[in-house]
This record gives sequence, C-alpha cells and structure tokens, in this order.
Amino acid sequence: MLTLRLAAAVVAGLTVGAGGGFAVAGAVRDEPPEKAAALERLGSVATTDSSTEPAPTPAVEQQPIPARMLGSEVPVPIAPSILRARNGWLVSDGKTLVAVYAGSSGSDPSLGRVVIVHQDLVAGKQAIRIVDAGPTGALTIAAAPLGPSVETSAQTGEVRLQTAGGRRLVLDLGGDKISQVAHGASLP
Amino acid sequence: MRLLACTLALAAPLAALPAAAASPTPLSAWYMYGASAGDLRSNAYLHGCDFARAQPGTSLRILLLDFGAARKLDASTWGAVDFGNTTFSNAEILAALERSADGYHNCHVRGSVDVLYGTSNYQLSGSGMSTSDAWYAGYHQSERAKNLHDYQVSKGYSSQTSDAAGDMEPSWDGQLITKQLVNGDQGHGWALYYDFGSADGCPQNGSADGVCTNGWHVSDVGYVSFHGPAVPLPEIYYGANAGQWTVVRKWWDGAQSSDYFFGGVTASTGVGLAPSAAWNTLESLNGGLVDSELVCFGC
Repeated sequence: MLTLRLAAAVVAGLTVGAGGGFAVAGAVRDEPPEKAAALERLGSVATTDSSTEPAPTPAVEQQPIPARMLGSEVPVPIAPSILRARNGWLVSDGKTLVAVYAGSSGSDPSLGRVVIVHQDLVAGKQAIRIVDAGPTGALTIAAAPLGPSVETSAQTGEVRLQTAGGRRLVLDLGGDKISQVAHGASLP
Repeated sequence: MRLLACTLALAAPLAALPAAAASPTPLSAWYMYGASAGDLRSNAYLHGCDFARAQPGTSLRILLLDFGAARKLDASTWGAVDFGNTTFSNAEILAALERSADGYHNCHVRGSVDVLYGTSNYQLSGSGMSTSDAWYAGYHQSERAKNLHDYQVSKGYSSQTSDAAGDMEPSWDGQLITKQLVNGDQGHGWALYYDFGSADGCPQNGSADGVCTNGWHVSDVGYVSFHGPAVPLPEIYYGANAGQWTVVRKWWDGAQSSDYFFGGVTASTGVGLAPSAAWNTLESLNGGLVDSELVCFGC
C-alpha cells in the first residue's frame, strides 16, 4: 500500500489518489532525492481507469513443456535461505506445471529438502510446497521421467532422489511425500 | 509537524483511515514460466486479472512478476532466462507485462497497482556477463518499466503504474556486479528498483557493517536495497531474516544521510513465518518504518 511514501508525498504537497492506511511516523521523514520523482508518480495514481474499453483477451496458448532436468545454471526461484539447491526438474502439459528443486535447508545443510512449485496455468494460481527428508544431507534429483510423452502423468508420478551419502529416496508428486525406495524398484 | 497536521486535515479521506499498524492483506506474486513468448503473455494476462480480482481496499498495491535471472542475450539484446531455462528478450517480456496490464484493467474492481518487472542476480557473472552488462541490464529494466507505463497511459489505465525489481541474493553473485543492476536502473532514471532479495548470512543483531554470505557486507545489502532508486521489499521467511534486515536499516541510518525505510515485505507460503507474521515481525523491530505492502509467492 506504500503508505509511508504516499504520506511523504502528501507532505510534499502532492495529491494522493490512492487510499490506504496513513502512517504518521513516515510523514516526517526525509525522502531520498533519487526516489522523489518515482514516489511522486506513485502518489498520483488514480483508483479508476479513464478508459472503460475492455482490452482484448489473449488466446490461451499454453504449450506443453517436455519433462526436463534443470542444471545449476538455470535460475532457481527459491531463496537460498529456504533451499540450497543442487538441481531441479520441470514438466508442464499446458494446463498445469510442476517444478521440483532439490538440495538442503538454507539454515541447516544436514537437512535434505525439496521445494515443489505447482502452477495451474489456466487459473493463474501458483503454490509452493516445502518437503523435508530429515538428516540426509543435500538431496539431488537422481532420476525422473523425461521427454514429451509424460507431460501429464509425470506431474503425479515419482522422482528419485539421492542423499549426500548415496542413499536413494523417492518423492511421490501425487502427495508431495518423500519415502525410502522399495528394494529392487526400477528407476522411472 | 504543523505542516503535517495541515496536510493531514486536507487529506481527510485518507486521515480517517486507521494508522498502518496491522499487517496488510498478502497479495500474490508469481515466478514466471513459459515455453514460448505466447505462454508468457497468456500467463501474465491471467496473473494481472487474478491480482485485480483479489485486491482488497482502495490502495496502491504491488504486482510482482519475477521473470528469472537477468541476462545479456546477444551483443545488443538484454532479457532474462526463466525458471524453466527458456530465454526471453526484453521486448518479449514487455509484451507480457502489457498483457498483465490488460488483465488487471479487464478485471479491475478497486484500488490501483504498481506492476513490477522483476529479475534476479542469479549467476550473472557465471553466464558471462560483465559488470557493464549488468549495468545495462538494470538500465533496460527501467527502460522497459517506462515503456510499460507509456502503454498504461496510452490505454487509459489510470489506476496503474510500473517499476522494476530485483531478487538480489548475496549467495547468487558478488556484490560488485549486483550493485550494477541498481546503478543501471538509476542511470536510466525512471523506475524504482525494489529489492525483494535477502540479507543472506548477515548478522542478526547490532548495527555494524558485518560480514554476510559470499563476501558481501551489511553495507552492500544496504546499497542494493536503498541506494538511489532502490527500495527494500525484503524476503522475510524466518524470524532471523527480520533481524538481519533490521541490522541493515540500523547500519544505513548510522552511516548515510537519508533515513532507511522498508517498502513492505516479501513473504512465501510453506516457510517459517506465515505472510502476516512476516510483516508483523519486521514491523515489530522497525516500528513505523515498514510500508503496508505484503507480496507473497505461493499465496
């Protein structure tokens, strides 16, 4: 709501078009001059549009993303305070998207952790799940479904993880749960 | 104070509202994924619409779209690589930002919005970018934010404006190259540069210029979050983060001529602090210095 800066803008004699709470403490503060013009602009934004003409609605043209591994050169959306990422995996069928990032807790390198981003591309909703594996050390995605033939099925399938000590775990994307690999089970 | 009292009286509709003591309603921010520029535009439109429908009250709120890591794509083209390893030029990102403005307009109910073009400092130097390249990345971010604003004005979207943002994480690259994102934005001279990154590894107490992660110091975090057009919108995911950012604020106030304030808080679901607790924790350590803004990934 930018109330402190808008308050400062009012003190500077500007008209404030946006509402919100009003923080008196902020109103007596000096605004850094390098931010002044932009803060004045924020203070002049209206709450209604001068145009009532609807914008064209773009065609929903979501393309599938074949399941792929994400190496360390690919940006990780999750902050290092949450996850020290080792690698990731991504798939989308054009309607829903799942991305998995594996590594360790940002504050405890001994705690294995994955962060899962689920996105509903039609509704525009995004959800983030953090799943801890216990004292495994950093986790790495060792194997996962790949390619264009699994764009829907892989989203609720299994991703194989490897602990720092070489132990194999499995992440069930159907329930976002980590468990031990059944002895003798084959890789996806 | 007399001027303040007069001004408050003139701004009666605003003054009648309660002081900003309670945490604001968290509003969604998005990590951008797309297999193509068309995907990016579709997603951005939906996010603009979804944001407008969820926006409470009549105040100005931030719509943060994080397009991934800032990149130089070729000798004269800047843009970003997204979280699925797809690169997008700034022209493609601007087209997506314009669709988010369309989506907000079509679904607008109340209030106003500041649409942010967000990137990060993830492995800038590792991707081959020089400090000069990073400067131009920041410069062009501000330029594209201005382009978006021109579009908003041309379409009569008077409830909208735009700025730039960076998820600047000490762990992801050095302080020298990261500062160039802010400096480039300042060189262009139009957009605020919101820092929605962390003070990773910085001390949680005191006001000294202590050591943080990856060779950064508290003063470096202060620079990228408050120098020039920079405004801190810090990640507060755990209680420790609020302590770290309070140290940054105290260091700045002791060493610089301007007074540090927070533009709000960046929160996430699934972490130690729920969004409202994140805002309240930072505010409790910095009374009256945290703007009533709460962007949230995963909300």
